[in-house]
Amino acid sequence: MDRILSEFIVSLRHAGVRISVSETLDALHSVWLVGYEDRESLRDALMAALPKSAPEKEIFNRCFDHFFSFDYFTDAESPPNPQQRPVSPAADDPLSRMLLNGDQSALVMAMREAARAANLTDIQFFTQRSLYALRILDRMGLPAMDGQMQSMQATGSPGAAQQAAALEKARTMLVDNVRRYVEQQLALNTPTATENILTSYLRHAKLSMLEQQHFQDMHVIIQRMVKRLNDLHSRRRKTAKRGQLDFKKTLRQNITYQGFLFDPKWKKRKVERPDLVVICDVSRSVMRTVRFLLLFLYGLNKAIVRIRTFIFCSNLIEITTIFDEYPVEVAVEKIRLGADLPILMGRTDYDQSFRDFKTNHLGSVTRKTTVLILGDARNNYAEAQTGILKSMYERSKRLIWLNPETPSFWGTGDSEMKKYAPFCSTIKECNTLHHLEGVVTSLVHRHH
Amino acid sequence: MRTIHDEKFSSPEAIRQGFQEQGFIASRQIATTAYLAYHLEKPLLVEGPAGVGKTELAKTTAAYLDLPLIRLQCYEGLDESKALYEWKYGKQLLYTQLLKDKLDSIINRENGFAESIDKLHRYDDIFFSRHFLEPRPLLKALQQEGGAVLLVDEIDKSDDEFEAFLLEILSDFQVSIPEIGTIHAVTKPIVFLTSNNTRELSEALKRRCLHLFIPFPEPALERNIIRIRVPGISEKLGRQLVAFIQSVRKLDVRKAPSVSETIDWARVLLILHGEELNPDLVRDTLNIFLKFEEDIAVVTERLHQLTTNAVRSAGD
Repeated sequence: MDRILSEFIVSLRHAGVRISVSETLDALHSVWLVGYEDRESLRDALMAALPKSAPEKEIFNRCFDHFFSFDYFTDAESPPNPQQRPVSPAADDPLSRMLLNGDQSALVMAMREAARAANLTDIQFFTQRSLYALRILDRMGLPAMDGQMQSMQATGSPGAAQQAAALEKARTMLVDNVRRYVEQQLALNTPTATENILTSYLRHAKLSMLEQQHFQDMHVIIQRMVKRLNDLHSRRRKTAKRGQLDFKKTLRQNITYQGFLFDPKWKKRKVERPDLVVICDVSRSVMRTVRFLLLFLYGLNKAIVRIRTFIFCSNLIEITTIFDEYPVEVAVEKIRLGADLPILMGRTDYDQSFRDFKTNHLGSVTRKTTVLILGDARNNYAEAQTGILKSMYERSKRLIWLNPETPSFWGTGDSEMKKYAPFCSTIKECNTLHHLEGVVTSLVHRHH
Repeated sequence: MRTIHDEKFSSPEAIRQGFQEQGFIASRQIATTAYLAYHLEKPLLVEGPAGVGKTELAKTTAAYLDLPLIRLQCYEGLDESKALYEWKYGKQLLYTQLLKDKLDSIINRENGFAESIDKLHRYDDIFFSRHFLEPRPLLKALQQEGGAVLLVDEIDKSDDEFEAFLLEILSDFQVSIPEIGTIHAVTKPIVFLTSNNTRELSEALKRRCLHLFIPFPEPALERNIIRIRVPGISEKLGRQLVAFIQSVRKLDVRKAPSVSETIDWARVLLILHGEELNPDLVRDTLNIFLKFEEDIAVVTERLHQLTTNAVRSAGD
């Protein structure tokens, strides 16, 4: 197969574009059709065959520019006037000859060949740059050339000295070019390597410690996780709907047709759609976790889960409508800023908030409801009643408390976690994406 | 059939010119991709914002090659019986009625019940043969003698299941009908799929297609399009309105005006005998290319500035 193309595809894969074998074949056929002569046609052709979405096209363009740049050794000196060329001690190693003749294409070829022999495509980290550059230079025949230069300088004749000086200059240029080439290869290779590390880091990083710059990445990761959950569970719903013949019902229904079994009835397994009431503490200490939990929950397909959301700090309000009106990201941002919402951001008051819930919304909790409370249970040393939580627990199917603090801190200082604990079906530590995913999976996983 | 059309598809440039004669201005990329799709015999998945000419590309190809265009509009709940084939139930019933005597004689002459059933079995395939098959777009495209252009429009609106079902047709140009067997394409149709990206298409589908993303056109290309599609318009007005539309697309609007809307606007301005863009004229005709109340408000706010900028940049 075409070697240039296969190398290009490897670097595309490194950059995170998924390319299958059949697509590789398409690309190969496309290249046969359009040829390598015209750079832009080549770009168009490969663009049709390889990347299949807008982000992938962007990556493709970047890689293409990097990969098919032929500007190496452009500064190689053109062969000097034959009359002026010193005749005696001619350079007899191939590298010196190429450099002195300024043979650009031969130099590029030699460099690529050497790079291939040195397995340059395996380069991963920037610390390996010099190592690979050295290996390539070695394979191109730099040691032989150095020897040549030394012996030229040693002879001391003016012709030789002049040539040695020319070689010296050419050598700097050569080293520069090879370094540049290695850097580009590194740029082509690294994004995914670092991306994978970043992803696994972000999944397990404490949400409260995250820096602003990673938020965008987090959104992407959450989207990916949510998509998987959606795919998984929407399919299960469909298979779960299929039923068997319900013989009793068929008999009953067909009495009207004189007992002919004319209209069969099927057993339908009822698929439960989890009914979710989410109550979030939005005081500063918990807000970050809230943000990601909501991103997660509202990313889920409406067919899989039905959600009502409340937030509280000094008082409690319902915010379900905000999610109906705006896309998830915007809605979460609005809640974070708290603008135009009748919420008081004073001291966190669990008691008052529970009372608000009881007066206005307790009806929304039925025996089919799962109640999800996210909060650190730090009530600022105010009185903590458990009566309302108890009635919520009794009315609901499950009550899950998510606490962003690590378990050893529960119940210390003003934390009332221990006091609330008896009225929760489950209490979970929840401060990384990994935890969040676990919680959400267990929520949608219940089909009875 | 391919050989007849090969000449028309001999190079991207030939395609570009041929399309232009049909009134479709293709960028170099569109022409190259169409060229590849034709020669690799691969379906072409076309994505891009609404109204940039995705459907038009398929129509133009059909017109250029003088082939029938078979169109399958996708929607939620579209299934095999509407896309591929259906049995002509009415005809089946009618024929059983008509042939009742025949059937009776077959059954009556034999005394045994089992034997009658046996005999019947020998005939039942008749009712599930090609005569009783109602071909829907996909099957029709495979059966066209001289080849066809198959347009699967807005594939993203269909369900995942339907997408999976398409795979067999797209990769092998054949379909399996349980009662009859596998039907191969008489001549491989040229397939276009379009998507507005309302949902992510599956990897498997994308893998089987070449992919083309048509963005909003560059100013020069859009001017060209206006020139060809609205021949009566003056060069100056054409430049100005393209510059205006291009700057509106950069604003934060819910639905950016598409190429087809630019064309509509140009036609309206032509009817109104507009010579030059001015704020009043623009304000009165904004609703031609902006379809949301909020968008109109956003643009009205900056109307003067946008108009003067457009007039100035077009004057250069």
